[in-house]
Amino acid sequence: MSTQLPITNPPLVCWNCHERTIGTHFCPGCGKLLQLPQGSDYFAMFELPRKLWIEMDALEQKFLQLSWKLHPDNFVSATEQEREISLKRSSELNDAYRTLRDPIARVEYLLAIEGMRKNGENKQQAPPELLEEVFELNESLDELREAKAEGSDTASLRQRLEAAEKSFGEKLNEVDGALQSKAQEWDDAIDAGANVADRGKIMAQLNELLNRRSYIRNLVVNVQKELL
Amino acid sequence: MAYSEKVVDHYNNPRNVGSLPKEDPNVGTGLVGAPECGDVMKLQMRINPETQVIEEAKFKTFGCGSAIASSSLATEWVKGKTVEEALAIKNTDIVRELSLPPVKIHCSVLAEDAIKAAIGNWKKKHGVEVPEHEKASH
Repeated sequence: MSTQLPITNPPLVCWNCHERTIGTHFCPGCGKLLQLPQGSDYFAMFELPRKLWIEMDALEQKFLQLSWKLHPDNFVSATEQEREISLKRSSELNDAYRTLRDPIARVEYLLAIEGMRKNGENKQQAPPELLEEVFELNESLDELREAKAEGSDTASLRQRLEAAEKSFGEKLNEVDGALQSKAQEWDDAIDAGANVADRGKIMAQLNELLNRRSYIRNLVVNVQKELL
Repeated sequence: MAYSEKVVDHYNNPRNVGSLPKEDPNVGTGLVGAPECGDVMKLQMRINPETQVIEEAKFKTFGCGSAIASSSLATEWVKGKTVEEALAIKNTDIVRELSLPPVKIHCSVLAEDAIKAAIGNWKKKHGVEVPEHEKASH
């Protein structure tokens, strides 16, 4: 059983010298800027394992270093192909940094590349209890909205909205806490060389927490809109 | 991104908003959600047990304009249809009618799922087995 997921990019053939290379960004043979190999991902771009805890300072350092190296300004007098690669790589790098920097986007991305979460579709339905709960919370918010539209006692309404905001906020914190400890569990599982089934179980739980989070986040945003 | 005229129309004048008594044996309730965007949709129908015709349909959706329009349209379409006919409604029909852009297709999927879930709930109340392909599967 492997103890560590691979962290380097898959090998590819350098477009310039046609040698097989395992360089991440530049060909070790001819020094040219490489295209991002197929099957590469944001973690590999930063030479990180697919783990959820990331040291932010180190990530930022690496980002600055790479943006400097890949920057189109360095390639103004290079061939058109190199200029294009530089542009593409720079924009990929920005996307990667933006994603990895945000702890929620990072989990979403990990689940996507691990095949757990597909863009635009989601195979499993949320548990009925969660839907019931979210629906009821939305309805209570709706009642407050209607009361507001009817111009009922604004002071007491504001109080109720603030109470709702507090309660939704607490729920959001709860979910974020649960996500954090589940992320820790994932990292521990990776370190321990957990098998596919165990990793799949943790990913399913992460996915469920993300789903719950998006429902609750909507509620928070909606109640805040009413309080503006 | 601009919504199509039909979406705006359903959004501004949603048809059949409201709810039916959940405990009524002739009422089927479907509650579904789209985790990606946090939308929740409740669709209810009153079904005549003799004729299997959907006599009344109500919805309540918390979500974006496309989700509201999709469920509003779904209630319009199922009314007067038999259970079998309603089950034949596909999300692609909704996409076409409302000219939904690709990023909003999941809203139509949600509406199709809600129809299936509501009918499934009604069938369960009447002791009818719900075949696998009729379950909300998305």
